[in-house]
Parts: sequence; structure tokens; C-alpha cells
Amino acid sequence: MSRRLETYLEEISHYLGTGKERLEILTEIKSHIMEKASQEFEEVTEEAIEQIIDTYGSPRQVAEKYLEDDQIIAPALKGHLLRYTIILFTLHFGLILISFISRTNMLVLPFFYIPRIDSFQALFYLPMAFGFDLGMVGIILYFVTHSRKEIKLPWPKLKRDWQKSLEKRETESSLLPFFLMLLGYGVLVWLYWQSGTVFFKTIDFRNPQSLFTPAASTWYSLGLLALLGIGIAAYAVKFFTVSEWVNLSRSGCQLVILGIIINRPMENPFIEFTHLDLQIIADIVIAVAAVWIAFDFLKSLVILGIKTLRKKAPSPHEGFEKERSR
Amino acid sequence: METDIIPFETEMNRGFLQVLVLVLLEREMYGYAMVKKMEEKKFALEENTLYPLLRRLEKKGLIEGKWDVTEDRPRKFYIITEDGRDVRAGLLKIWQRQTAIMNRLLKENPNV
Repeated sequence: MSRRLETYLEEISHYLGTGKERLEILTEIKSHIMEKASQEFEEVTEEAIEQIIDTYGSPRQVAEKYLEDDQIIAPALKGHLLRYTIILFTLHFGLILISFISRTNMLVLPFFYIPRIDSFQALFYLPMAFGFDLGMVGIILYFVTHSRKEIKLPWPKLKRDWQKSLEKRETESSLLPFFLMLLGYGVLVWLYWQSGTVFFKTIDFRNPQSLFTPAASTWYSLGLLALLGIGIAAYAVKFFTVSEWVNLSRSGCQLVILGIIINRPMENPFIEFTHLDLQIIADIVIAVAAVWIAFDFLKSLVILGIKTLRKKAPSPHEGFEKERSR
Repeated sequence: METDIIPFETEMNRGFLQVLVLVLLEREMYGYAMVKKMEEKKFALEENTLYPLLRRLEKKGLIEGKWDVTEDRPRKFYIITEDGRDVRAGLLKIWQRQTAIMNRLLKENPNV
């Protein structure tokens, strides 16, 4: 067989994958090319075959024409891919958070294994978890597509309130709240500068007494200042852009800071224990903050997901509304 | 800027080529002979579109393919099946109805 034809068929074979009809398709293509060469040239030479191949199309184009009917995911199920992934990732993320706070490994059958990780590892683990969820949903939809059965997958409706939420979150920042935030933040920084802490046992500023030991004071005060600083910086960025990505980045950074704080607990951080068990209260406050910020992070992810879906497929109601307004 | 007509033509040809092949294969033919036959009728039938189409129609049972290895070069001959004839009859009716509708519309809108 001609060297060029051999290479051409090998390349087509590569794009055809491992389907059971691959060999037969290649035999057919070879036969067609040889037939054309013999009909259009006096002698079937290497040059003749080369000329025929040049007009036959690139190996990828040829292979794609044969694969047109073989879809990985049916068009009707493509919308499910993102929606189901968001739902699965929300669940996955919640489990990661629980595992992170409780500092334990977690195995949820059939497929979630969440190792005990610190905040830095979590940064890498989250995108990996998202990729895993996307792949998992993709595999299921692949099997549904190839079963060729009329399987009606549930289409969970996300509340219409998301629209309002989206509009609310996308409003630009205003100056007055921003200055008040800056003022409050300035006071906290000043307190830290003067007393080495922002956590006080009393409200007597003439004789300030820190709630924590000096090392714990520095650690927790800087943590709080970092969390608030990120919030204010994000608010400032929203003067220039109203993208939901700002909210997502803010919550993501705050989660990392909170993760660092949780992962490096101080031993006996309080100067003295009163009648209240302050450690339990502190744990509850940190847990509530973590859940709050994590919820905000997920909300941003869902809103971004919905926006992507809307860009792809406008709601049928929108069309009707336009019609009515005419 | 002029709109490129080729993608629209490809889309339009999709259905047309199916009927065309089902009509051509009333008698046994091989791929290259079909291309040549259509060339005589001033219609360029692209090979890399025709052969995958023949394969799809064969998979659906509308045509039947048989390898002829009696000559030096093996050739695959195709012919329409009974199922193919039924589908062809239905498709031709649709095509005639569509042509009639289009002709009526064009008469009503002479500016088109």
C-alpha cells in the first residue's frame, strides 16, 4: 500500500477512536481512494494517490463526518451537565467544610472520600473536587445518552428569587457605607497598634485588658483584620466592576484565612476563664462565620452557573414578555 | 459584508442528499459511480459527505452494501432495501408538498 495512504488512514483511525466499525470504515475509505485514483489517472502511482488524498479532506474532517451521529452527551441533556454539577458540588463542598472543621477524614459512599486537609491543600482540592463532580455527572449523562431510552431526568427548579438576589448583589458600592467601613476598620487598626489586640475583656479603654494571651491576641486580631480587610477591598473593587467574580474571590480568600485560623488553634489562648466557657463560645463564633462565608461562596458559584446557563439558553418567558410588550 | 452561504447550503443539502441517494440506489451502484452519475447531472456530490451518508443509511437498514471482490480492486456496491423504499416514498411526498408550498408562497411574494 502507498506510504502516504497508509499514513492518511492511520491518522483517520486515530480520530475514529476505538469503535467497532473502525476497521470497516478504513477499508471503505481505502477502497474509495483507490477507485478514484484508478478512474482519474492512467496509472495508480504514489503521486496520483497523493493528489486524491489532498482533495479528500483532512483526516479529522473525514473522521468527524463518520462520527456525526455518535454524540457523547445528547443536546437535550447538555443543560443538565452544569446544573447537576452545581448541585453535586454544593453537597461535596458542604462535606469538605464539615471534614475541614471537624479535622477528620470522611467517606461517603458510593464515591466521596474527603481526606483531612489544611487550608492550603483545600485551595487545590476544591477545583479538583469540582472536576471530579463534572466528570461524574458527565459519565452518567453519557450512559443516559447511549441507552437511547426516553429517560426524563429531573430538572430541579432554582428559585426565581435568584434573579432578585443577582440584581441586589450586582449593585455598585455606595460611598457612605464604604466610608463607615473604612472608619470602623481604621479604629480597629488603631486599637491593635495601641494595645496589640482588638479583643478586650472590658470596655474600659483607660485600662484596656486583652481577652487573649499576647501570642493569641496577635494571631486572632490579625486574622480578624485580614477577614475584614478583604471584605472592604472587595467592596472597593465593586466601585469599578459589579461582577459576581468579585464576591466569589472575596468569599474564597476569607475561607482560606478562616481555614488557616482554624488549622492553627492556640493552646490556652484566654488570659483567665470567667464563669463562661469562652472556648466553646469562640468555637461557635468561628463555626458560624465559616458556614456564613461558605454559604456566600456557594451562592456566588450558583449565580455564576445560572448566568452561564442563561447566556446559553434564554428563558422562554423572556420571548413571551417581548411579544407582549410589542 | 456578504453572508457566507456555504453553511446554509450544507444544512439544506443534508435532507436532500438522503433522498437523492435513495433514488439513485434503485439500481445497484458503488460510491464513485454515484459521484460520476451526479456529475453528469451537474451536481457536485462530495465524496467525504457521500460515503459517511451511505454508511448511516446502511446502518439504518435503508440500503444494503455488498463487497465485490471478483475484480482486482474490491468495490462496495449498494442497493435500496424494502424499508428504504418505504422511507423514500414518504420523503418524496414531503419533498413534493414542501415544493408546492414554496411555489405558492413565491407566487404570493413576487419580490422574493
